[in-house]
Amino acid sequence: MELRSEAADGSHGAVLKMIVCGVIRFTAVIVRRSMYAATHISHRPARSRIFDPGRGRMTDLTDRPVLSTEGREMSRLLARVGQTRDRAAFRAVFDHFAPRIRAFLLQRRLTSALADDLTQDVMLAVWRRAASFDPSKAAASTWIYTIARNQHIDHFRKVQRASRMDETDPSLQPVPPPAADDLCEQAEAAETVGKALEALSPDQRQVVEMAFTEGLSHSEIAERLNLPLGTVKSRIRLAMGKLKTTLGDLE
Amino acid sequence: MTPHRGHVLDDAWYLDFAAGSLASEAEAVLVRSHVELNEEAEQRVAGLDRIGGALLERLPVGEPLTFSAEDLLALAADDDIVESKSAGFDLPSELDGIDLPDALKTYLAETGVRVKWEFLGPGLRKAILWRGEGDTNLWLLKAEPGVAIPHHGHNGSELTLVLKGSFWDGDQEYRRGDVEEAHPDVEHDIRIDPSGVCVCLALTHGKLRFANPLLRAFQVFTGI
Repeated sequence: MELRSEAADGSHGAVLKMIVCGVIRFTAVIVRRSMYAATHISHRPARSRIFDPGRGRMTDLTDRPVLSTEGREMSRLLARVGQTRDRAAFRAVFDHFAPRIRAFLLQRRLTSALADDLTQDVMLAVWRRAASFDPSKAAASTWIYTIARNQHIDHFRKVQRASRMDETDPSLQPVPPPAADDLCEQAEAAETVGKALEALSPDQRQVVEMAFTEGLSHSEIAERLNLPLGTVKSRIRLAMGKLKTTLGDLE
Repeated sequence: MTPHRGHVLDDAWYLDFAAGSLASEAEAVLVRSHVELNEEAEQRVAGLDRIGGALLERLPVGEPLTFSAEDLLALAADDDIVESKSAGFDLPSELDGIDLPDALKTYLAETGVRVKWEFLGPGLRKAILWRGEGDTNLWLLKAEPGVAIPHHGHNGSELTLVLKGSFWDGDQEYRRGDVEEAHPDVEHDIRIDPSGVCVCLALTHGKLRFANPLLRAFQVFTGI
């Protein structure tokens, strides 16, 4: 928990700093961009629409090239687990995601013993269902996130009903081997989502992050922030609208 | 005639769904069923899942794990394939002719709930699947073609997902996969489309509030 709040403070500090720097650079960037636009056909018009110049630097911080390679590599490895039951590939996927899944579950206020158990369940499910991972449809991080989320929900259902754990998830059908292009596209898309999040206003980002990190429902968020439900709902709507534009540009 | 645009929920519901923070299993069953049947809802959730994935990537790694990939692989047999729990489940014959979404099938299979149609009003039947605190009910509504549900409001909120057929609220048509979200302050005039039987999954908090006092008195017997 402490780690997280430090990270959050750090990023807020960074946001402020970057906005200040951005304002100073604003004019220069605008001039440079319009000159660029006048002389080039833009490869990525969508991106320049999402990120205003004042935030340009901030997105650079989260867009380290190392992540890009890693994300693509994870999708490639996970697809290989599905196709050939490659144990070495699974080890690499495990080493990358298992600690993060554990961190996700700890954020949801699970005890560390329980977080360990559920992390094992999630990674076992990843191994067993890898054949249904389709890298042209989702990045490895997205696919694994949905499994972790569903296992977490199922755990509470299990507690509530004291029944067996649910193993039903989206289609368990094996998929044909992906084209190399698809692999890269969705992995890149996942990184752009990170940038899209940064492009939200602090108010909007706060509600989205509270939902995902702490697992609070929109009415719980309203309670926590001491805001009317309608205000929280409209922040979510605005955030989703902005994210939808960004994500739509990726299709 | 304008093309049919699906009726979807407030974005807050999709965020709750994607983040795994829906308040009850009943909400989860209804929203999940809707997402399965409605393309627009599915796309919204898919977008949010990507955000979940991006946030997962950014979590601090923390202390080393006490188990390794090898430990897990030792547990897992090479050929173990996970079967869908609802695969071998026979749907209750009361639900014959209704193409149920997997989320609802799974729920019925896991809870073993008995589906029993009861009289709700002329041309209307209900089957309660789950009762929660404070008059919260998850239930199925089956309505005959052309039936009208008289002018009413709600004492609490209500989500109604169409599973089969369609109904009209004023000039808005709700078809399979569409959800109507009702609030306490909005009045409704529901008419079932004359083309066929309509079946809906509803989650209600509080009882319906009919304008007609006779119907209010009658409600004592129906329980919705």
